[in-house]
Amino acid sequence: MIRVERINKFYGAVHVLKDVSLTVNKGEVVVIIGPSGSGKSTLLRCMNYLEPFQDGSIFIEGKPIGLIRRGDKVTEMPQAELDKVRSEVGMVFQNFNLFPHRTVLENIIMAPMTVRKTSRQDATALARDLLKKVGLSDKADAYPDNLSGGQKQRVAIARALAMKPKVMLFDEPTSALDPELVGEVLGVMKELAADGMTMVVVTHEMGFAREVADRVVVMDAGRLIEDGPPEKIFSNPDNPRTRLFLSKVLSHEA
Amino acid sequence: MQLDFLVLFEGNNFSALMSGLWVTVTMTFMAMLLSSCIGLVVGLSRMSSNRVLSTLAGCYLAWFRGTPLLVQLMILYYGLAIGMQIDLSASMAGVLGLGMYSGAYVSEIVRGAIQSIDKGQMEAGRSLGMSHWQTMRKVILPQAVRRMLPPLGNEFIALTKNSSLLSVITVSELMRAGNLIVANNFRYFEIYIGIALLYFLVNFTISKVISYFERKLSVEGARA
Repeated sequence: MIRVERINKFYGAVHVLKDVSLTVNKGEVVVIIGPSGSGKSTLLRCMNYLEPFQDGSIFIEGKPIGLIRRGDKVTEMPQAELDKVRSEVGMVFQNFNLFPHRTVLENIIMAPMTVRKTSRQDATALARDLLKKVGLSDKADAYPDNLSGGQKQRVAIARALAMKPKVMLFDEPTSALDPELVGEVLGVMKELAADGMTMVVVTHEMGFAREVADRVVVMDAGRLIEDGPPEKIFSNPDNPRTRLFLSKVLSHEA
Repeated sequence: MQLDFLVLFEGNNFSALMSGLWVTVTMTFMAMLLSSCIGLVVGLSRMSSNRVLSTLAGCYLAWFRGTPLLVQLMILYYGLAIGMQIDLSASMAGVLGLGMYSGAYVSEIVRGAIQSIDKGQMEAGRSLGMSHWQTMRKVILPQAVRRMLPPLGNEFIALTKNSSLLSVITVSELMRAGNLIVANNFRYFEIYIGIALLYFLVNFTISKVISYFERKLSVEGARA
């Protein structure tokens, strides 16, 4: 489904992703954890090329995203092609990034109507279904700034789902929320996972990782240092740095 | 000489002032349209990743912001006619001159407003598969326009006031109409006070129109 092959990313001279490889299978939920600055969000953002990388390849269902190589030459793919691949990859941001000048419903129907040329009627029907799914049927005509953080994030999830993506990427979806609102967003994500959606989630919610993830991936200093089922990572990690990281996070959580 | 504001209505004075006012309003309006178009194009070009485009836009801004409007008008009207045999009518030169000058300032207003929109908005649009332009048109610009309005109000008011310089290139606008009357009756105080009031009226209307649009474009509950 997603194949990340030895990607390297630099911000100027700073090497932020070092030879990272990762495969995500269809229907799998992969949670990426790690200390801040370890490159986990950057890796996630590379998966739809919001963050350009300089070396390596990422394939979404066999199709490359961002960089294409012909022989020895590596070039950035044309924007139109990039848009096409991106339309198959849903993304949910830490800060929601809803469009504040549009109502909730208009937020959701914009991309299907613009990119897929769906009729307003069909797009609206789909949007109402999705709003029902995230439990916000009554908010269709509200503006984003009148919603709570948890509601905003659920709208953002519905907006991404409206493109019927094959994969959903979540970039710390609960980090900007008040603690009591985290549950409603995680609830929607759990349902998505149960429906068989392929998901890659960067999060600090260890409970979610333990409960929902099929695999947990640990990053540190731009490298992928551990990859395994959550039971193993949380109870008996191989890497001492994983152990150190978890001891800090979990002691705080308990 | 005693003050006598009735001179404003003496003979043809009032109708001369009114037709001057009309010329001022129409020329300013056309210059505003031109200035908005130039501002949008130059402002977007300056942010373009295309080096040639952004350099050209930078040069435009530097030149038209960096030289006096009066000098630009002189070049357009007298300079081009005599030096290059390009004979523009006074009102053509006037609209072009005002529009191009003001367009430089508007381009900075456009750029500032667009850059003030959170970069997450563009990312969200792109992540949904919309192109840069689709996102610009449907997400960024509608929000940016709202933020452009207050400085645009300033700029359009300045433009109206600057239109009085067109009197120098023989456009029969309000200032020139006043000058002609004064040349006859030497009623400097009364006539220029009258003219000032008329300019004020135009600019007050502009500020009202702008704040009407600000209200209309404001979104319920929005913090922007």
